[in-house]
Amino acid sequence: MARDGMSRRVALRLGAVLSAAALALPRSAFADTIRRRLPWGPAAADRPERIDARPGYLFFTDAEAAFVEAAVARLIPKDELGPGALETGVPRFIDRQLAGPYGQGDHFYLQAPMPKGVATQGWQMGSPSEVYRLLIPQVNRWAADAYGQAFAALGPDKQDEALKVLEKGDASLKGGVDGKAFFELLLQNTIEGFFADPIYGGNRDMAGWRLIGFPGARYDYRDFVGRHGEAYPLPPVSLSGRREWTGKQS
Amino acid sequence: MRRHFPTLVLGLCLSTFAVAAATAPPPAPPPVDPGGGAIPIPPANADNPTADVTSWAEPSQAEPANAADRLSADPVLRGRYLAVAGDCKACHTDVGGAPFAGARPIRTPFGIVYSANITPDARTGIGGWTADEFYRAMHKGVGHGGKRLYSVFPYPYFTHMPRADIDALRAYLGTVPAVSQVKPANRLPFPLNIRFLLRIWNALFFHPGELRPDPAKSEAWNRGAYLVWGPAHCGGCHTPKNFLGADRNKHALQGGRLDNWVAVNLTGDPRQGLAGWDKADIAEYLRSGRNSYAAASGSMQEVIYESTSRMSDADLMAIATYLKDLPPGAPKPGGWAPTEAAMRGGAAIFADACAACHVADGSGVPRFFPPLRGDASLQSKDPTTIVRIILEGSRSLPTPARPTPLAMPAFAWKLDDNEIASVATFVRNAWGNSAPAVPASKVAKLRRRYGGRTGG
Repeated sequence: MARDGMSRRVALRLGAVLSAAALALPRSAFADTIRRRLPWGPAAADRPERIDARPGYLFFTDAEAAFVEAAVARLIPKDELGPGALETGVPRFIDRQLAGPYGQGDHFYLQAPMPKGVATQGWQMGSPSEVYRLLIPQVNRWAADAYGQAFAALGPDKQDEALKVLEKGDASLKGGVDGKAFFELLLQNTIEGFFADPIYGGNRDMAGWRLIGFPGARYDYRDFVGRHGEAYPLPPVSLSGRREWTGKQS
Repeated sequence: MRRHFPTLVLGLCLSTFAVAAATAPPPAPPPVDPGGGAIPIPPANADNPTADVTSWAEPSQAEPANAADRLSADPVLRGRYLAVAGDCKACHTDVGGAPFAGARPIRTPFGIVYSANITPDARTGIGGWTADEFYRAMHKGVGHGGKRLYSVFPYPYFTHMPRADIDALRAYLGTVPAVSQVKPANRLPFPLNIRFLLRIWNALFFHPGELRPDPAKSEAWNRGAYLVWGPAHCGGCHTPKNFLGADRNKHALQGGRLDNWVAVNLTGDPRQGLAGWDKADIAEYLRSGRNSYAAASGSMQEVIYESTSRMSDADLMAIATYLKDLPPGAPKPGGWAPTEAAMRGGAAIFADACAACHVADGSGVPRFFPPLRGDASLQSKDPTTIVRIILEGSRSLPTPARPTPLAMPAFAWKLDDNEIASVATFVRNAWGNSAPAVPASKVAKLRRRYGGRTGG
């Protein structure tokens, strides 16, 4: 009898645990099953999220903006091939990313505890917005010690030199932060901004795409797939179009 | 123009009232029906343009075709075939409601008319009607107890049907499950809600009488004429309406409009009509929803799904035979000259957003992605359909013959009014097409209703 009571109790507990677990599952765990129909609804669309169109920066302070503008201008400088990262709006791209879900680290697991990791474990810092906020003053402090001025105030050659030191991990930053990882993040974000669709703030006039001959957000190339040895004739197009559409700036 | 209809109609009714007041109480032409654009066939999404209400278009729900019923000795089966040919179900079934139980809101330019319950329920349906009463409704537009019916119920077409067919139809309707469902009150403004006025409308526009075969024409032609002008009531959508909602029969089947879809010109008009289609093309379209020139969109999808895809091959060829013999009407002015800016912008948008499926030269992929070159709906003077399809996208109809529904995505979120106007103008005038330019204001108007939450 006692044994029966025990097993019933166990069963009840198990049931409670299982239903709690079911409730805790994210909705996406229950995938839609699509049979015999093409999901479609009039005017339905998953439109890309547009960035906050207000002028200026949402995340960066003036000092941070000065650093980022100076740094990206050296990472992808303006040259005879065309505009660089600064001219194509990359700082604004990074600003909007840091102000949004990416900046909050929505793609990371960020719960404590946080023991010190090793290099093979990948990203070992906080969210990207925390990294920018924490590291920019450290880099400026180090630059002031090493070169006599904050990074943005240095000449291009000194900036290049400072970035190279940072990239090697040889900059002596205070507070145990990882200068090399910050450099890599900054470089990655700069490249993203230079080549992402212009609707996200960078790649203004699709200059990044023009540079490498990427035709942009196109569905397919059926009209051209059989035409070998010819250059693709159409210019790049953004998700929001291109200048040649009616009066719209990309 | 549309929004002025009620005022216009009211004015006309009142002035007629003044003239007729001497003899009868309230007179005036009561224009309540399809009018200027609406029609007996409701759009699939009349009440909620943004909802996916195309669930009726699922192949799994398709009933077996009943083409053989047409020649059955059993009047019930013959009646069932006629009910399919007449697509009674479309209007007389509410979205998600019981078949033939009515209560579907039918939008007209004059207001909303709810369809009647035509199940055999004695109290709310037509179970209590005698055969003579049913015939009178079909033949004269007079319902139970002498109540005049609005011509949104296409009795001006059904009057062409012989008594035997109408009796067969009644026999079939007597076998569908009886459903007790009271029809909601129509939402028509005074004086359109005075049914007596329908007598005047009938006197002006209604010509009762069965269709007589033309002995000079083939059997197929006569069968086609009967279907087109009788049960299938094609002109309900495809004939333009006058301001009182009556068919302008001088322009019969030359194209109409219903609740923001263009019903194309069915004559041999070289641009807006079916000049380029042969009989087999017409039959294929009615059977499968597609042919090598076009894919059905809008309300025609429902007609094909519920009606023509279930008709016999012989009847589809008969309809085609009749339509191919229609004179094209007066030649339409061509040589439209859209602005160069619109054509240039439209060409850029087309290359970037449309050509992947519709191909750079507008030739499409026949039976998959509709060709745009030479398309009748595209070149219709009224650009409603093309603008609407660009705004909200479209899904081709799955039929037993063509079970895979292909979809075009919505562009309302991506293209602004000017851009849609430009690309619509471009496709209407590229590759030898010719049609009036589309103004951005037209796009703005349709966007308000069909742009969805993503518009802007």
